[in-house]
Amino acid sequence: MSVATPSPDTLKTGPDSTVEALRQRFEEKIVLEQATLTGWPVLWVARDTLTEVLAFLRDKSQAFEMLYDLSAIDERLRSHRRGLPVSDFTVFYHLLSVSRNRDIILKVALSEDDLALPSIVPLYPNANWYEREVWDMFGITFQGHPHLSRILMPPTWHGHPLRKDHHARATEFDPYTLTVEGQDREQQALKFDPEAWGMRRRHDDSEFMFLNLGPNHPSAHGAFRLVLQLDGEEIIDCVPDIGYHHRGAEKMAERQSWHSFIPYTDRIDYTGGVMNNLPYVLAVEKLAGITVTKRAETIRVMMAEMFRITSHLLFLGTYLQDLGAMTPVFFTFTDRQKGYEVIEAITGFRMHPAWYRIGGVAHDLPKGWEKLVKGFLDWMPKRLREYERAMMENAIVRERTRHIAAHDTTEALAWGITGPNLRATGLDFDLRKQRPYSGYENFDFEIPIGHNGDAFDRGQIRIEEMRQSLRIIQQCLDHMPAGDYKADHPLTTPPPRERMLQHIETLITHFLQVSWGPVLKPNESMQMIEATKGINSYYLTSDGNTMSYRTRIRTPSFPHLQHIPALMRGGFVPDLIAHLGSIDFVMADVDR
Amino acid sequence: MAYTLTRATDAIATEDSRYPLNEQRRVEDPVKQQIHRNVFTGKLEEVLHSAVNWGRKNSLWPYNFGLSCCYVEMTTAFTAPHDIARFGAEVIRASPRQADFMVIAGTCFLKMAPVIQQLYDQMLEPKWVISMGSCANSGGMYDIYSVVQGVDKFLPVDVYIPGCPPRPEAFLHGLQLLQDSIQEERRPLSWVVGDQGVYRAEMPSQREKHREQRIQATELRTPDSI
Repeated sequence: MSVATPSPDTLKTGPDSTVEALRQRFEEKIVLEQATLTGWPVLWVARDTLTEVLAFLRDKSQAFEMLYDLSAIDERLRSHRRGLPVSDFTVFYHLLSVSRNRDIILKVALSEDDLALPSIVPLYPNANWYEREVWDMFGITFQGHPHLSRILMPPTWHGHPLRKDHHARATEFDPYTLTVEGQDREQQALKFDPEAWGMRRRHDDSEFMFLNLGPNHPSAHGAFRLVLQLDGEEIIDCVPDIGYHHRGAEKMAERQSWHSFIPYTDRIDYTGGVMNNLPYVLAVEKLAGITVTKRAETIRVMMAEMFRITSHLLFLGTYLQDLGAMTPVFFTFTDRQKGYEVIEAITGFRMHPAWYRIGGVAHDLPKGWEKLVKGFLDWMPKRLREYERAMMENAIVRERTRHIAAHDTTEALAWGITGPNLRATGLDFDLRKQRPYSGYENFDFEIPIGHNGDAFDRGQIRIEEMRQSLRIIQQCLDHMPAGDYKADHPLTTPPPRERMLQHIETLITHFLQVSWGPVLKPNESMQMIEATKGINSYYLTSDGNTMSYRTRIRTPSFPHLQHIPALMRGGFVPDLIAHLGSIDFVMADVDR
Repeated sequence: MAYTLTRATDAIATEDSRYPLNEQRRVEDPVKQQIHRNVFTGKLEEVLHSAVNWGRKNSLWPYNFGLSCCYVEMTTAFTAPHDIARFGAEVIRASPRQADFMVIAGTCFLKMAPVIQQLYDQMLEPKWVISMGSCANSGGMYDIYSVVQGVDKFLPVDVYIPGCPPRPEAFLHGLQLLQDSIQEERRPLSWVVGDQGVYRAEMPSQREKHREQRIQATELRTPDSI
């Protein structure tokens, strides 16, 4: 199935028809339209009409097929809220329409003594985990939720970390100790209780087996646990258990300056390197009102695509290893090494360069970079051909992955699946084409799509994506614009060094901007990008400070893992392993 | 050389005893003490220890255990460009019971700590722990509510590898340091022969060893050329 999505030209023309339709239908129940820099209408909705409004938006005429994000903000310490409805905690719902290429954000105000909302799981199935996360992080309850329990923090945890009155640092606490009793208690708490999940222990004449896959399992790609309810080899049901990799990146953003948070973004999707910096710096630049130079944009695109290739190579190696092929990982890691030689020469680091800056990049391309990039571009195509011949045309790989864990576009959208996993179902939704950012509109490349949405297509599509990335890098090499690598703007951080040593005033400004960091005007902004694993976005709320008031990081792997049970019921254990390999997730991208 | 002695305590650990459970104390090299008593068996024991340790250090089987970013660099060390097989440590084991050492490659999370302890307990002696990367060493840049500030809060660590993440070469260096340390160990040669304590050599600090040389570097290469 091939579905065409509208071109970017249809974006943002005239007043938003959705907002008008909503105003007509719900009148004063739509409390306010908030002006932000998110690029989408932000509407405050009364709590009692929320479900109706969401149902209306999901309906065919409005066609918001995907619940893209759902999270909350603790507003109690926010000082710049003029004109906004009174609220202690605000929950926001970000809906995305692929067919209309439009988004809308709904906000609901809650008071501290009544933190409850109706659950929207019946409308959007992927709201399940998002609502659990909001409960875990903010302590907001969702009435009618099928299983409202902690998702990121351990079950024995007290408090809700993203509340403003919760401590942030581990060192504000007593030092960690693990006693024999504590060890037993924690392990008991992690024990799976089938009844709590509404599972039966036995079926007519057979008893089900409950198998823990993880938290440490070679095929689980990190600290991820999956509890399987098995009848022989058949998976009756399964429950993914995440949170073993929660590094509190969102809380961290509330205490790092706008500039010094950049290294933390690298470690979100840790195979994506500078690709992670991109949505963050783009969102900050929107807040600061910086337009970066053409050269900076092109350098950013080139390095991001380099990391897309190294990430997809890692995927390919581990995906095939999960299927039992030992050698591919040795080949793909050799190529990764070639990629890192280029990345290291340009950025000075391998995995987490943190190389993008607010207003540009850290430094200019070094002399002789063209030769290195060209060497990589010459090396890769024949390797990709070899991978296709030796691996994707391999009969065993085909047997193991064709029609395994397959889903269609409608199902993918309902579960919030994005990126290559969505495109494997035959939909050509790629933000680089549909909503170009950082100058992607100037590049000539294609969007590879799959047909069956199965584990095979998810693997195949990534090989093709690497080819397209090589094409983009080739164009960067051929047409690298001349000019500055940093924008000439007062909020560019760190500021250009030439302006620092003129007189004491410039030195003071420089010093303040480097030590305290830039101060950004109160507003809200957001940027989505097509990251290595799907759509990654940063939703920043500034309160006119040197730090972010709230940073919401929406990562693609979170909904991808949530989709596993729906897909695997009735499948077999080896199919699950093939599916896990084909999703391409890292746990830092799930738990943040 | 100074040694740390660890004895498997017979007493059952009480509920409130903290990990790591074993008590350690500093002692002299046990082999050197024997020399004073009997030159012949002392020398024989030294040769035996040396031979056994040589075998141990050159066939270290790592446990396939990874937490986060560092694990990717650790895996890189296992593949062709870095080829850890040169040091006899390429046989990754998926079960802790078959593994010789565990690399804490990544952040030690609060939710994961009891699991890590469980896996460590399942490994059989002799066993070692390498702490790889800033997070495992000290919490690193994640001084945050959900992260244990260093895996040595509950595990006995043999080698610390700095970096965020350390390069594969740094991991290989760490492995070689562990091998050096294993060469100097005195473990019971059998469960019926001699002293049953584990004597670990206190190896020199790399920072102190290389300080003189490192502070000689006063000019760094500019990033302007490749």
